[in-house]
Amino acid sequence: MPEQISIFELVANASLLVQLVMAMLALASIVSWMMIFQRWFFLRRVATEVDQFEAEFWSGVDLRELYTELEGHDDLSGIEKVFMGGFKEFQRLAEQPGAEVDSIMQGVQRGIRVALNQEEVRLGAHLAFLATVGSTSPYVGLFGTVWGIMNSFRSLANMSQATLASVAPGISEALVATAMGLFAAIPAVIGYNRFSARVEELMKRIEAFSDELTSILHRAAGARAPAPK
Amino acid sequence: MAYALRAYSGPLMLALLLHLAAVAALHGGWVPPQELGMKAFKPQIVHSTLIVMQPKAKPKPRPAPPKPAAAPPAKAPAKAEPRPQPKPQVQVDLEAEQRRRQEQERQRRLAELAQASFAEALASEASELAQDDDEARAQSYRFGIYQRVVANWSRPPSARNGMQARLLVELIPTGEVIGVTIVESSGSGAFDRSAEAAVRKARTFNVPREADLFEAHFRRFSLLFRPEDLLR
Repeated sequence: MPEQISIFELVANASLLVQLVMAMLALASIVSWMMIFQRWFFLRRVATEVDQFEAEFWSGVDLRELYTELEGHDDLSGIEKVFMGGFKEFQRLAEQPGAEVDSIMQGVQRGIRVALNQEEVRLGAHLAFLATVGSTSPYVGLFGTVWGIMNSFRSLANMSQATLASVAPGISEALVATAMGLFAAIPAVIGYNRFSARVEELMKRIEAFSDELTSILHRAAGARAPAPK
Repeated sequence: MAYALRAYSGPLMLALLLHLAAVAALHGGWVPPQELGMKAFKPQIVHSTLIVMQPKAKPKPRPAPPKPAAAPPAKAPAKAEPRPQPKPQVQVDLEAEQRRRQEQERQRRLAELAQASFAEALASEASELAQDDDEARAQSYRFGIYQRVVANWSRPPSARNGMQARLLVELIPTGEVIGVTIVESSGSGAFDRSAEAAVRKARTFNVPREADLFEAHFRRFSLLFRPEDLLR
């Protein structure tokens, strides 16, 4: 009659290496869930910020006013930084007398590109970790399982009377490692796919915005340049 | 650092909570189904009526206790005074005498068995509520024993529906079988031997660790072998 084995007894009875593997996987699972939650909240916040800023930007507000208003803040969202990066360059270069439209626009684009890159890095942070957990933890779990099964069969070889009951607990405890690997990997893979799609979508929106901004500033530069002459 | 704390403490808490919940669910979900299955449901379906009725039904119709439809082997909790395990020995000169003595002994023991079971039944009626839990747990162990015996029982070709053999099984607290005695023969030697062999082959049974529960139900109990699913 099999005893009722709790999963915790299984974990406690496993060999040291298998326990190490399990601890690693538990840690990976906890950290990856932490990343998932963090990214989730973060990307949701970024999306609402983009919405808000776009609404404000297209509401017909004067860009200079918007710039001075934002200059006071120090916790700017990504899309605001893109705007600031572009507009600051524009302001600085446009104030110089005799600046060419092309050179102004080059500066503006440089400023925008820097902000865009920073934003992309900020949005995509930790996604590499999720990808790593998602792709490696099944293997790590499998390693623990193989090791545990190896041991339980080895001990079976030393027995005079081999019964299923003498190997079953070992195999069962070894399989816990695979289960944990999958438990860690599945959310990480789903999270990675979902968040990388989300980051891409947000970046597209911010890039589209930056293009619009460039063309607006280009018009402004063109309007300004001939005027002094 | 402060930013990291602010940005990650919430998600970290959530992640830890989620894992704790998973572990708790695992812990809660891992054990009970088996326990429930063992304790309550299966035994009631298979055996409960039988066990309750047996002690009362037994004393009077001694030669062939009439049984309501029952699963093949049935067991009754029973107590009797300690007694060395008698092995049938072939001794020509003493055979008749011995047989007679054995018969007497058997009668006496059965009477005692019945008495004890009867008393126990009375007691159980008196303190039914208190014993309910114990009884349910004993049932689950009985069911385990039943399964084990059935798994080990290979019936001879001569077995027929309606044959029945009753065995007295004695266990020690580790669950090992130390004595098997045929209390009531089926009339077919092969059948009796197969029943005895089934118990001996099982060798050990899963028995409760609590001493009182073991003493009450499993120190000594009788097993009824009666095939009802045969074609002939």
